Amino acid sequence: MTATSDRPRHRSRAATRFPIYRLVLRSQVTRARLLALLALGAVGIIVGAALGASNPAPALIDGLGLVDGHLAAGTRFVNTFGLSLLVPVTALVFAAASLGDPDEDGTLVYLWLRPVRRSRIVVAAAAASFTVAWPLVVVPLAVAAAATGGGRDLVVGTVASATVGLVAYTGLFCALGLVTKRSLVWGLLYIFIWEGFVATAADSAARLAVRTYARSVLSGIAELPLRGTVVDSPMRWIAPVAVGLVALAFATWRLARRDIA
Amino acid sequence: MSATEPVIEVEHVSKWFGELVAVSDVSFTVGPGVTALLGPNGAGKSTMLRMLCGLTPPSQGTVKVLGGDPRHDLQLTRRIGLVPQQESLFEGLSAYEFVHLAAVLTEVGDTDAATGAALGLVELDPDDRRAVGTYSKGMRQRVKVAQALVAHPQVVVLDEPLTGLDPRQRLHLITIFQRLGAEGRCVIVSSHVLDEVERFGSRVLVMAQGRLAAEGDYHAIRELMDDRPHRIRIRSDDPRSLAAGLLGGAGVVGVTLEGADATIVDTRDAALLRRSVAVVARDRNVRLNEVTPLDDDLESVFRYLVEGR
Amino acid sequence: MSAVTVEPGAVEPEPGPGPGPESGGARIVDRGYRRYEGRRTGTFGAFRALVAHSMQRALGLRRPATQKILPAIAVFIAYVPAIVFVGLSVLIKDTLLANSNLVPTYGDYYSFISAAIVVFSAFVAPELLCTDRRTGMLGLYLASPLTRNSYLAAKAVSVVGLLALVTLGPPLLMLIAFTLIGQGPDGPAALLNLFGEVLIGGAVVALLQASLSLAVSSTTTRKAAASAGVILILLASAAISDALVKGADAAPELFCLNLLQLPFELVRRIFGELSPDPTIASIPNSTLISAYVGWTLLFAGFTWLRYRRVSVDR
Repeated sequence: MTATSDRPRHRSRAATRFPIYRLVLRSQVTRARLLALLALGAVGIIVGAALGASNPAPALIDGLGLVDGHLAAGTRFVNTFGLSLLVPVTALVFAAASLGDPDEDGTLVYLWLRPVRRSRIVVAAAAASFTVAWPLVVVPLAVAAAATGGGRDLVVGTVASATVGLVAYTGLFCALGLVTKRSLVWGLLYIFIWEGFVATAADSAARLAVRTYARSVLSGIAELPLRGTVVDSPMRWIAPVAVGLVALAFATWRLARRDIA
Repeated sequence: MSATEPVIEVEHVSKWFGELVAVSDVSFTVGPGVTALLGPNGAGKSTMLRMLCGLTPPSQGTVKVLGGDPRHDLQLTRRIGLVPQQESLFEGLSAYEFVHLAAVLTEVGDTDAATGAALGLVELDPDDRRAVGTYSKGMRQRVKVAQALVAHPQVVVLDEPLTGLDPRQRLHLITIFQRLGAEGRCVIVSSHVLDEVERFGSRVLVMAQGRLAAEGDYHAIRELMDDRPHRIRIRSDDPRSLAAGLLGGAGVVGVTLEGADATIVDTRDAALLRRSVAVVARDRNVRLNEVTPLDDDLESVFRYLVEGR
Repeated sequence: MSAVTVEPGAVEPEPGPGPGPESGGARIVDRGYRRYEGRRTGTFGAFRALVAHSMQRALGLRRPATQKILPAIAVFIAYVPAIVFVGLSVLIKDTLLANSNLVPTYGDYYSFISAAIVVFSAFVAPELLCTDRRTGMLGLYLASPLTRNSYLAAKAVSVVGLLALVTLGPPLLMLIAFTLIGQGPDGPAALLNLFGEVLIGGAVVALLQASLSLAVSSTTTRKAAASAGVILILLASAAISDALVKGADAAPELFCLNLLQLPFELVRRIFGELSPDPTIASIPNSTLISAYVGWTLLFAGFTWLRYRRVSVDR
């Protein structure tokens, strides 16, 4: 048997704190994911800078009159590139994998067969996904928003709307990862078909899309109306958080009842 | 069966997945010691083991482990250690981190000491910083065993634990299982490798096509196989004379001569034959060199129960 | 069987290989492994079998019902507007004729069903390429008469053929609908011309989508990651191009970065329609065609290079 070494090994008190959170965090950050999402964020910054360097004409908005061209272009860009693409896809990539990957490869048993409340597993996984996704999404978007020259309100609106969207998407896709093995596929369908297509057709359908609430937050803070349904405060803040929490509760319920391979 | 309270009680348990019946009306109890769960592929062994750990609920019937319901009693998981069949581990962690995680989640007192001890038990280096993703199959298997034992569980469930191990490692792990059984823990091991299962001990549960075919000591199971005569080989200096003397004896079904010195006797009563062969040999002045039962091993029992031959 | 002469008293020789012995009405038919002596179809047969199998797989044919859901959704979204339009043409022909703004053009139709086209291309190519590498089937295919080039060609034909389901079929239905309301082509020559335009338009959309999705699928063995990559590239390129051209007032030619809308704009030009956006309409045909050909060849070349280098070790 190997003699026990006296020198400290790769352990510390921190290793005993939030072990599941640390485990999921570590397993999610892969080079391919980081590179792809960093590249996307970088492209966003470049485009934001291009918008800032250009001289867009002031936009005529109903009820507001002429609005600064940089603000209008910047807000539209954050909405289409950020809230409609970068935020949901980044959340999907990390959140769906947080519990979906261990479920698929059979390592979930090493968490499940422990005296750990199921809610703790789910919350830790979601928190880890959010921790990774937030800087990958919000930082480049905020930088891009600042680069567009749209002003302070646009930057604040970008951070707030992206965060609110990320909270909802993280909860939703975390649950999706437990519900189906093809979570990435169904998540893309939700983002692209439901939110990008069906929800644009009718007001009632729009209220069933996370994007609507994130867009409403951005629109409210930047004080610029955007195309599509806009939800009034405070629902625009409450609904996404509620969606995220309900989704996590569902994921907990599901985890407690599923068959573990 | 031990006189003590059973550790595991399975009563009329069935499990189906849609139209596929994986386990059908199985009942048994298991006490302390090592019990082998045998069966061909698709017999329902893994499903049964998963139900014992609460990983999947039975569709019908009840499973009790240490008096509790493993599916719903979270605290029971502290006392159950599982070595699952699947190969995947948390690939980015080192062996130490992997087992330490198990210790932390099971709220073991001194997690570092427990981790070091568990890894030492399976002959893995606690100071090895390499990720388990780089490990060989045998080393990964040993990591799985270590994480199952780190919390000193009372019930240890092992699904094909010897897969991928070299002969020396297999022997080492078998010794560990025997020790755990001798300590009074309940160890259930599923395996296909019959000659190694014989070394665990003699208590078996045999499953076939989702049903329990037999349980208990396999020697005793063999005795119960009335419709199948025992086959015994007797080597002597005059096999013909011995055969003539045994033929017609009580319980003897058939006698065959094999080679120059062997008499193969099929009998319904092996104990009676063992008594009478000495008398016959003495009466006929035959020197006996060997008396060996040919089908008293686990493989024969298994083949009979599972394949009917 | 060769004739054997047996001397009296001699032991008869054992029967040789071939059909088993016969005795009193009984015979042994199967004596184990025998070589296949039938016709071999060669490389073309292997190519054809791979194309057929790939298309079946992508459509979920001969597979469980759950494998049919995604292709069904995509085909449904692609065909339903055309079917509805055919129905309306039969039922309320006069209303449609009186309100020409209710009648979509061929170019418009592709924009309606862009979601279906993107979904289909994002899931078809990964299903056909990624799975083979992940499961090790690529090695088996290359052990057959297929080479890497013929394997890739078969896959490309399958993907283009599948995409043609959603890019060719619906416009053909539209042609029926237009004919029903009396706005169809005048005479056989015009019909042939229009038919040619539909074929070319459908092929234009299918080819670029196919080459992009094959290129992305060649970079990973995980289907879901490849699907996500395809959709991300399409949407991101659209968002970036929009921001630059419309937001930053950059050169209209930057519209050629828009991989999602570029083929649809080309389709409009094929049908002689004007783009609703005057900025886009100002881009010369030659620029659009060059960009289209450049992107298609770039992605196709990337795929070919990836497969030249991929090592098949099982």
